[in-house]
Amino acid sequence: MDPGKFLLFAVGGLSLAAYLFIVTAGLSLVFGALRVINMAHGSLYMIAAFVTVVVANQIGVAAGFFVGLLVAILAAGAVGAVIEVIVLRRVYNQEHLVQLLGTYAVALIISGLVRLIWGANYRTMPEPSLFSGTISLFGYSYARYNLFMIAAALVIGAAVYLMLYRTGLGRNIRAAVADSQLLSTTGVNVKLLFTTVFVIGAWLAGLGGVIVAPSQAVGSTMDSDILVLAFAISVIGGLGSIVGSLVGSLIVGEVISFGLANPATNAFALAFVFLIMVAVLTVRPWGLFGTPETQ
Amino acid sequence: MIRLSKALALVAAAVLFVAACGGNGTGSATTTFKGTKKVGISLPLTGQSNLYGHAKSQALRLAAEDINAKGGVNGYKIEMDVIDDGTTVPKAVDNVNQLILQDQVIAMMGSVTSGQCAAQTPIVKQNKIVYIDSTCNSYQLTLEPDLLNPYWVSIVPNTYMEGTSAGAEAAKLGAKKIFIVSPNYLFGTSETNAFVAALTKKNPNVTFNDKSTWYVPFPTNPRWDSTINAIQAFQPDLVYSNIFSQDQVNFVKQALAVDPNFFTKYQMVTLSSIDDFNALGPQYPQGMHVYMRAPFFQLSNSKLDAWVSEYKTKYNEYPSDWALMDTDALNLWAQAANKAGTFDSDKVMSQILGKSFSSLRGYNFTVRTQDHQANVGETIGTTTDSAGKYPFVVLKDSSNLKGDDIMMSTTLMQEMLDGKCEKGGDPKTANFALCPSWK
Repeated sequence: MDPGKFLLFAVGGLSLAAYLFIVTAGLSLVFGALRVINMAHGSLYMIAAFVTVVVANQIGVAAGFFVGLLVAILAAGAVGAVIEVIVLRRVYNQEHLVQLLGTYAVALIISGLVRLIWGANYRTMPEPSLFSGTISLFGYSYARYNLFMIAAALVIGAAVYLMLYRTGLGRNIRAAVADSQLLSTTGVNVKLLFTTVFVIGAWLAGLGGVIVAPSQAVGSTMDSDILVLAFAISVIGGLGSIVGSLVGSLIVGEVISFGLANPATNAFALAFVFLIMVAVLTVRPWGLFGTPETQ
Repeated sequence: MIRLSKALALVAAAVLFVAACGGNGTGSATTTFKGTKKVGISLPLTGQSNLYGHAKSQALRLAAEDINAKGGVNGYKIEMDVIDDGTTVPKAVDNVNQLILQDQVIAMMGSVTSGQCAAQTPIVKQNKIVYIDSTCNSYQLTLEPDLLNPYWVSIVPNTYMEGTSAGAEAAKLGAKKIFIVSPNYLFGTSETNAFVAALTKKNPNVTFNDKSTWYVPFPTNPRWDSTINAIQAFQPDLVYSNIFSQDQVNFVKQALAVDPNFFTKYQMVTLSSIDDFNALGPQYPQGMHVYMRAPFFQLSNSKLDAWVSEYKTKYNEYPSDWALMDTDALNLWAQAANKAGTFDSDKVMSQILGKSFSSLRGYNFTVRTQDHQANVGETIGTTTDSAGKYPFVVLKDSSNLKGDDIMMSTTLMQEMLDGKCEKGGDPKTANFALCPSWK
């Protein structure tokens, strides 16, 4: 493979990884802090994508994307807060299966409501002009929007990392992960902390929906489209680890991109992802960057 | 536990609310019926093909209302029994069992994907239920010996008709180096094989991307970077695709982001539909060579125009190809059952096979006795701006290919039915390109 083609497929893999990371970062944060596998994460991402498309198509893409960004993140955060208060607070002490079923029920309800409100038709919007256009390298074209997605993924990853390891909120979140009861004895309102974490997770899901909206069809199935790969990434990287999500996304993105590029491996490109997942589960069940559950 | 029960009760109440909001009443208040008979359909209201399921369910409910307004079928009111299969084969199988055994439907309309239809046909056959197929279209469904079903009727142009028409179009364009992208299941392989067979018959020197890279998983993830990059790396004269719905929308959108002239640089022959046009609106590229099953704007006639107006008034959207074909499907069954004077499947089938039916498509079609395939046409053309007439592109330089001109010849069909087109006598390898008369 010549360097031009190698770069083409490497950047293709990075684009896919960026998309996957943007969507899974919030999922990982929520599991890391609250130990809840949030099956409704994709629903929040879908709501934000719909809001962005509707706003952008209503007031024009130039301003619409940024107004949509604000409205969509607020909407995702509000819905997230409602889910946390009404459903999650009642299942924190239950086993994971109950939590899965509870959040899955929420996902089904939101999916139905989305179809009622926005219909079954797919909606699309153009890319905002700031990020549209292409650049050419070694004879191949690259979408600026894909490069923007890669940059956005890096910024989101860095912001979440800094929030967790350089702020008081992050210190409280990490303390809650270690022992939430002990943390409550220090005067920290753990209930409010959990709601805050879930809302941040919802914002991240919303941000993912906003960023993805101009690059694909926005429809009522986009919540579940991402689920299988998102969980594969979480297992490989370690559920709960932001660094793990980033590395897991990179592995999955590049394996798929180069796997599909090669005729000899094309038919098995997706299978490789799950082979890696099985290998990680066998050797290190808590993932490459995760930590074993103590309870 | 009590708290959990409360949460579940709340969720159940919400689901019931959603279900109630989605309900749909039908029927005429003035006609007196002997009773109600159900016609079933399992279709994707969720999952990859939900867009098509949405159009089909709307159209069938409207068609049932129209049939009931004219007195129903054999004096009975017709009610559509619609169940979601999530675009999965196992659920489609569960659904057909439920529709037949529990809901006791008297006939069925066809599902969406060929994988689902192939899985449903043995159950339909065993229970002697007439099944009018208007979307899933692999020719194997009516010609592969182990799938043959005396109660199956296809009123959609099948993969032979579509694939060979697309192959002829690609040959006309003079392309020598072709990149193929197709969904990896029965429909994709069937239609792609027909395309390749027709194209290489006309132009034996044409070359393709490696065969192992033709197919993408179905359903696939929403990012098409790998395929787009592979096309750039291969530098073909022409891209042939039969990816559809959400996959086509995502592929086109992401390819245009990589290069606004992508589809000028790499001209494309592709299956498409009004749903795909509608989803992309003005972003759908002009100059694409598309083949379509039933675009209303291309088949305009007084009966169709009135129906389009009725559909648009009721649902506030233009009807897709699927909506149009499903309306024809239910009307065909209703006409046949009325003529038979009974719902007995054998008697209804005797009123379908070899008989001519009027359609919204502006012509009458006949269901061929031997393979139960109707001689319905295909529309082929190049996308262009609709000049404000519709919120999506339309076609120029188009033609409505006649069913009789694109159907499999009776000789070829008979060789298929006689098992002369298989590798090692395995019906699952049946392929018309292996038939003696094709060679």
